[in-house]
Amino acid sequence: MSLTMSLYLPIAGNSVNCLAIFGLGGVVGLLSGIFGVGGGFLMTPLLIMMGIPPTVAAASDSNQIVGASTSGTLAHFRHGNVDIKMGLLLLIGGIVGGTVGVQIIAILRQMGNADFLISITYVLMLGFVGGYMFLESLQAMRKSSRPEVAVASPKRESLYAKMIRIMPLQVDFHRSGIRLSLLMPFCLGILVGVLAAIMGVGGGFIMVPVMVYLLRMPMHVVVGTSLFQILFTCMNVTVMQAAQNHTVDFILALLLLLGSAIGAQFGTKIGKKLGGEHLKILLASLVLIVMFKMLYDLLAMPDVLLAYAGGH
Amino acid sequence: MQTIFSPHAKRLLLAAVLLVLPALAAAGTTEGLTVTPANIVMGAQYNGLDLKVSGTVPANSEVIVRLTGAPSTLHLREKGKVFGLVWMNVGKVTLNNVPKICLITASSPLDLLGKAAVPFRLEALAKEISIEKDGGDPSIDIPHQLLLLKTKEKLYGEAAQGITLGPNEGGVRSFTAVIKVPSAISPGAYQVEAIALHNETVTGHSTATITAELIGFPKWLSELAFQHSLLYGVMATVVAIFSGLVIGLVFQSKGAH
Repeated sequence: MSLTMSLYLPIAGNSVNCLAIFGLGGVVGLLSGIFGVGGGFLMTPLLIMMGIPPTVAAASDSNQIVGASTSGTLAHFRHGNVDIKMGLLLLIGGIVGGTVGVQIIAILRQMGNADFLISITYVLMLGFVGGYMFLESLQAMRKSSRPEVAVASPKRESLYAKMIRIMPLQVDFHRSGIRLSLLMPFCLGILVGVLAAIMGVGGGFIMVPVMVYLLRMPMHVVVGTSLFQILFTCMNVTVMQAAQNHTVDFILALLLLLGSAIGAQFGTKIGKKLGGEHLKILLASLVLIVMFKMLYDLLAMPDVLLAYAGGH
Repeated sequence: MQTIFSPHAKRLLLAAVLLVLPALAAAGTTEGLTVTPANIVMGAQYNGLDLKVSGTVPANSEVIVRLTGAPSTLHLREKGKVFGLVWMNVGKVTLNNVPKICLITASSPLDLLGKAAVPFRLEALAKEISIEKDGGDPSIDIPHQLLLLKTKEKLYGEAAQGITLGPNEGGVRSFTAVIKVPSAISPGAYQVEAIALHNETVTGHSTATITAELIGFPKWLSELAFQHSLLYGVMATVVAIFSGLVIGLVFQSKGAH
């Protein structure tokens, strides 16, 4: 009896090599565990390259992120790195923003420029977020490597810090060790939700910089809280995509999540060992690589001038 | 919206087909077309297969064997350059009468088989497709681009390989063709054709129909996903959470040492 590693996926309508899918899940899960991002912006293009239809790749990826982020959230929760109060506020904002974003996309599609705006938004967001994080982390690492000079100059409070302080509904977020207005995470959640809906991704790679730079949460709490928030977003997407579009391939997702859930566990341990600045610079590099790949796809002439409807 | 074939052109095309059909009938048919396996069974381990087609054709004939899927409608996006700089989706294209699959294999290079082979080639197939365009560049050769897309997916192809011809005996010769059916096919009916050609004329034409069907776990899962989609979505979510928790707990127990 011969043992074959190929498996037929009835919803994707293609057969895949189990080991290749398992390995792909493992690598993306590792990154997810280290950085607290869902990995959708990496996994979906890689699945399309392996012959999975774009709509099935995106929906099945959301399904596997549910498993990977459950595993990752559990691991971070054990280490006390999940700020549930902050995560819930971001989630509520994200749902409101996602609903608004879907309406914006519907209007843009009617105007006929949606695809162009989606791609440009992608490149600009990735370039801005990745570039800023990369430069900021590089500066911080250079500073820490220099010998400490005893300068006790009083630090001036920035305009942004003043604005945060005077906003109403101030509460303590004990896990994050910060005091903020309830409106801050809610409004930022809306902003990320709008962008995520326009770009068709979970939003982890936008949410993490927002938590670090705008909510000023410590990096390790950011990762756990981001995974917690992504878990609920992707549960919603999976059920909606399965019910309305029939694009969730459960077998593909199961293979991916077995790989990615294991990868996420290793990722969480690696993330703990890496310093905050190292984490940020690695994530920034990853975001910039994806940005350059997208930019190349926009500028280089495609081999075929026809594509199936549904992909970006 | 724009349609490439006008009603007048379609009538001319139909008349041309009606003129060719009696000629084919007069040429007779190949005998005893055997397709193995008789049907394509798509179970959990289906990964494409080699379809063996065998039969006999008039002596000295060359053979073309073609596998085609049922025609369907395709909704595609056309890519074009925007602002002279970036490549984006610039239009919508709806194609009707597009076979899902069209794999052609011949006993000699198709270019050497002359005019008689032309109606059975991919370029002829592309001419039968009707096109509706919404936006995009009118100068783009859509049928040619469709052939490029489908060939890239390995669902369309032409090759002069995979056919073994036997010796001429009693006015006929046997042939055996092997067509590599890809894994990315849909359940449904497919047509297998064997066309015999000699001195630039069609000397025989025979067809057989095979079906591709899901069985076992893929069939059960497909029915659940399409007929009970909400239940399927909830099940996919619950299993994902459960799997994530189990893996998380396994790592927790290892971490305790």
